[in-house]
Amino acid sequence: MGEVRTIQIHENITAANDRTAEATRRMLTEKGVFFINVMSSPGSGKTTLLTALINRMKEKVKIAEMDVDIASTLDAQRVADATGVRAIQIHNGGLCHIDADMTARALKEFSVDDTDLLILENIGNLVCPAEFDTGAHKNMMLLSVPEGDDKPLKYPLMFSVSDIVLITKTDTAPYFNFDMEAAKERIYQLNSSAVILPVSARTGEGLDELEALLMKEIAAVKG
Amino acid sequence: MRFTVLKASMFLCRDAGKENYMEEIRIIELKESILEDNDKDAQVLRDELKSKKTCLINLMSGPGSGKTTTLLALKDCFKDRISWGVMEADIDSDVDAIRLKEAGVPSIQLHTGGMCHLDADMTRQGLRSFDRDDLDLIFLENIGNLVCPAEFDTGAAVNMTILSVPEGDDKPVKYPLMYEVADIMVVNKIDTLPVFDFDRERMERAVFERNPDMKIFYVSALTGEGIPELADYLVERVKECNA
Repeated sequence: MGEVRTIQIHENITAANDRTAEATRRMLTEKGVFFINVMSSPGSGKTTLLTALINRMKEKVKIAEMDVDIASTLDAQRVADATGVRAIQIHNGGLCHIDADMTARALKEFSVDDTDLLILENIGNLVCPAEFDTGAHKNMMLLSVPEGDDKPLKYPLMFSVSDIVLITKTDTAPYFNFDMEAAKERIYQLNSSAVILPVSARTGEGLDELEALLMKEIAAVKG
Repeated sequence: MRFTVLKASMFLCRDAGKENYMEEIRIIELKESILEDNDKDAQVLRDELKSKKTCLINLMSGPGSGKTTTLLALKDCFKDRISWGVMEADIDSDVDAIRLKEAGVPSIQLHTGGMCHLDADMTRQGLRSFDRDDLDLIFLENIGNLVCPAEFDTGAAVNMTILSVPEGDDKPVKYPLMYEVADIMVVNKIDTLPVFDFDRERMERAVFERNPDMKIFYVSALTGEGIPELADYLVERVKECNA
């Protein structure tokens, strides 16, 4: 009896999540807002990279950022302080991901009417966030050089669902045994259409390309 | 039925805390009962291991902080002092177990099939398959994740967590539960301290605020720095655990 109930719950939740995500995506497309969901392990440099990226782009497009964390307000504060763009912190109370419903609720409180680029900084986790469509137009993930080139083998779903894979902290490559070619090959095996970009928030490597890529996506949503 | 329970716990980790749908209310109920069951299972397992004189250490961290590399670095320091092995948990790969096997460390690979943590029942299944009552110490290398594994008692006598320097000194603030449930904390990759802005004092303050009894070790699994001190401590801890 328990089994049937459990499986049913999962299906209901997944279907409900997908419906909510689709509604969010449609609503944002109508408003001309490009929404990107940013995922990675803890400490791979999401906030640092996004801060650098926002500072380069904020004069050209209107940006808003939503930060998800279990308990702290560190990231939203950091982004707001360092960039001056609108940022809110979402506390998810111990969960390992954010889903479409939580995103939709956050969007109700955080108006995005006057926004071109909406960034969702997900919980630092390579497992759970990969399973939930948040309603974003694109998923972007970060793999930092210190984490190692074997991560695509160990967390395949995350790499499969990400449209853009950033290899971050490339300036620290001399200190780590990170095989860039092996990493790329493993990612392409899971996701042949992934866009892979090596970047460093510290040196600025790859940020021009990333900015151009996002500008193109913003223009596409605006039609 | 067992499978059902595991499935349920997987969703719980991900879906609890919402209140919009009727189905989800049921999940919250399940979570309570499952966590309760898990705590009971874990305690039974802990007692069994104690009677078998096997110390189980649950090793947790974010992805890529160096769990397997640290275990491999400890190998020479454990030699002729304790017998040990590793149960590697991964979502879907054998990379780590292969590394350990090549180094001659008894090990098995557990696949969670997408789940973000291990619980006491999965640990028991792993121990049954491993079938090594002769070992003084078994490391359970958990899924690379700072969130879910912290919520589930595996039945281990000791929880150990690794934070690597490149991840940053703010992790105890952002993933507080992990640092509350851990007994031992290993700060790894200290050879890279010159390259990263890692404030050791700020990190220690955040850890001790949550867990005044935390035992902290600074190591580089790559250069071997700090590894002998960690090994000495673990050997003593295993002796205490199995006394």
